Amino acid sequence: MKLGAPERAVLLAFADDEHLMGQRHTEWIGVAPFLEEDLAFSSIAQDELGHAVALYELVGGHDTEIDAYAFGRDRSAWRSCWLVEQPCTDWAAALVRHWLYDTAEWLRWEALSGSADERVRAVAERALQEERYHRRHADALLDALVGDEEADRRIGEALDHLLPLAVALFDAGQEASGADVTVVGPPLVELVNPWRAEVDRRFGPRPWSSVEPPAGHDRAVRSQHFDEVHDRMREVISLDPTATW
Amino acid sequence: MSTRTWHDLGDPGDLDGFVAFLAEGGIVEPGDPMPDEYRREVFRFIELHANSELMGGLTERDWIPKAPGLRRKMAIIAKTQDEIGHAHLLYMVASDMGVKTRDQMLTDLFAGRSRFHNVFHYAAVTWADQVAIAYLVDAAALISQQAVLKVCSYGPYRRILKRIVAEEGFHMRHGEEMLLTFAEGTEIQRRMFQEALDRWWLPALQLFGPDSKPDDELITFRIKSEPNEVLRDRWVQKYAPLLTGYGFTVPDPDLRHDPDTGRWEIGEIDWSHLKATLANAGPDSARRIGDAARHWADTAWVRDALERTSARAA
Repeated sequence: MKLGAPERAVLLAFADDEHLMGQRHTEWIGVAPFLEEDLAFSSIAQDELGHAVALYELVGGHDTEIDAYAFGRDRSAWRSCWLVEQPCTDWAAALVRHWLYDTAEWLRWEALSGSADERVRAVAERALQEERYHRRHADALLDALVGDEEADRRIGEALDHLLPLAVALFDAGQEASGADVTVVGPPLVELVNPWRAEVDRRFGPRPWSSVEPPAGHDRAVRSQHFDEVHDRMREVISLDPTATW
Repeated sequence: MSTRTWHDLGDPGDLDGFVAFLAEGGIVEPGDPMPDEYRREVFRFIELHANSELMGGLTERDWIPKAPGLRRKMAIIAKTQDEIGHAHLLYMVASDMGVKTRDQMLTDLFAGRSRFHNVFHYAAVTWADQVAIAYLVDAAALISQQAVLKVCSYGPYRRILKRIVAEEGFHMRHGEEMLLTFAEGTEIQRRMFQEALDRWWLPALQLFGPDSKPDDELITFRIKSEPNEVLRDRWVQKYAPLLTGYGFTVPDPDLRHDPDTGRWEIGEIDWSHLKATLANAGPDSARRIGDAARHWADTAWVRDALERTSARAA
């Protein structure tokens, strides 16, 4: 089955999200609050980057040179949401984003797992297995921390800051409109309500009417934090773009 | 297979009897009444190993976000995960010896009060330093660990070393593959690796430590099976020809191949560099320990919160 441009746009947005989420998770390896968390973040980051590879392959076809595509594109060709471009320097923010993102990610993979395209379906089915553990990990940590005054304050602040960015994730962008639902599932925006229900269940009811995506959020536009993370990931590879690394 | 333990046989005050028990291949388990000297020396050795695995993981972490390529990045994450996983296991084994808890060991490490291997007191300046570390340092560590595994008398350490040595074998192959990529790479890559080799040859050589003393307690206690100089020479005999064979220059003006013996002879080693790292005063010690301490302090609230919530639950 050949994917059309709108379906590829849906998958590219997901691939870029997974790539940057994996990249951001790597920043916590070795500096998490305890060794077990260093190990967990290592696993989760590897999984997200693995999903990015699989999705880039679907977007570009198997003969695409993944690294050239993932690292060599102009910044204007990226379609990541701003949630994953955001640096999270406090552990509470990293944990809350991990939960918000993985809950959305679960719904996205579920939507793809019914795809009429067997390659898409296979990638989604494998990813869903891994996501079960990611979600369990984030939930277990939150369960353990909730009820402590300082933890609750930090988690609350992180949630206030990150929720607007997280709801913006559900905008797949102009290029994805009209994508074939039998291939990529329902439009991303339709997943926002089940996701909100999960957030309410986890953190208590949120005032959703006042949670708006940040002004100017658009997957075709890069946030103020993109260049820093993009420069870092390209620092070595751009030393000699002709080389095999 | 012998099931004798010192617990059945010994009197903790009988050091000679204990050493004879070890010499016959006796294995010591955590509950055994081991002599204080043994407990102290073995604990110190395992703590040093644990700290080194952790600080090695931290050396790599700085480069993970910059890894050139998605699959390369996943591979280096997996390797870092192994190193931190080794530290995790080693801290458990060390804390079971009842000298310090894991928390005390980490607190001491980040306060600059305990030791870790000399190589992790240096800065990894470019990605090629990562390659040099994976190729030369991991190989040196593997040679040392294989020598410990050969005789290791402390049961829990012996068991986890089996796993560590198996995983380090994969790391060494990963290092070889990265080295080949550079050796067969572009001019820029070859120059980068040569510069990294100039920085890492001597620290890697000194990882084995100075020549062992004739009465090295760790050999008597059957933790080490061979003296440092023998292990160091094994590494030189393997890596000097490989590196020169790839057309790189080993930064030792006195290095020469003796056609009569077939051996590679190295020049005099300046041990002042090792001494500086042993005092946590190596070229990058302050930054490394300082960064680790700062991160540890930044996440203290999580550990404190978990302690409070679990105390409440109990």
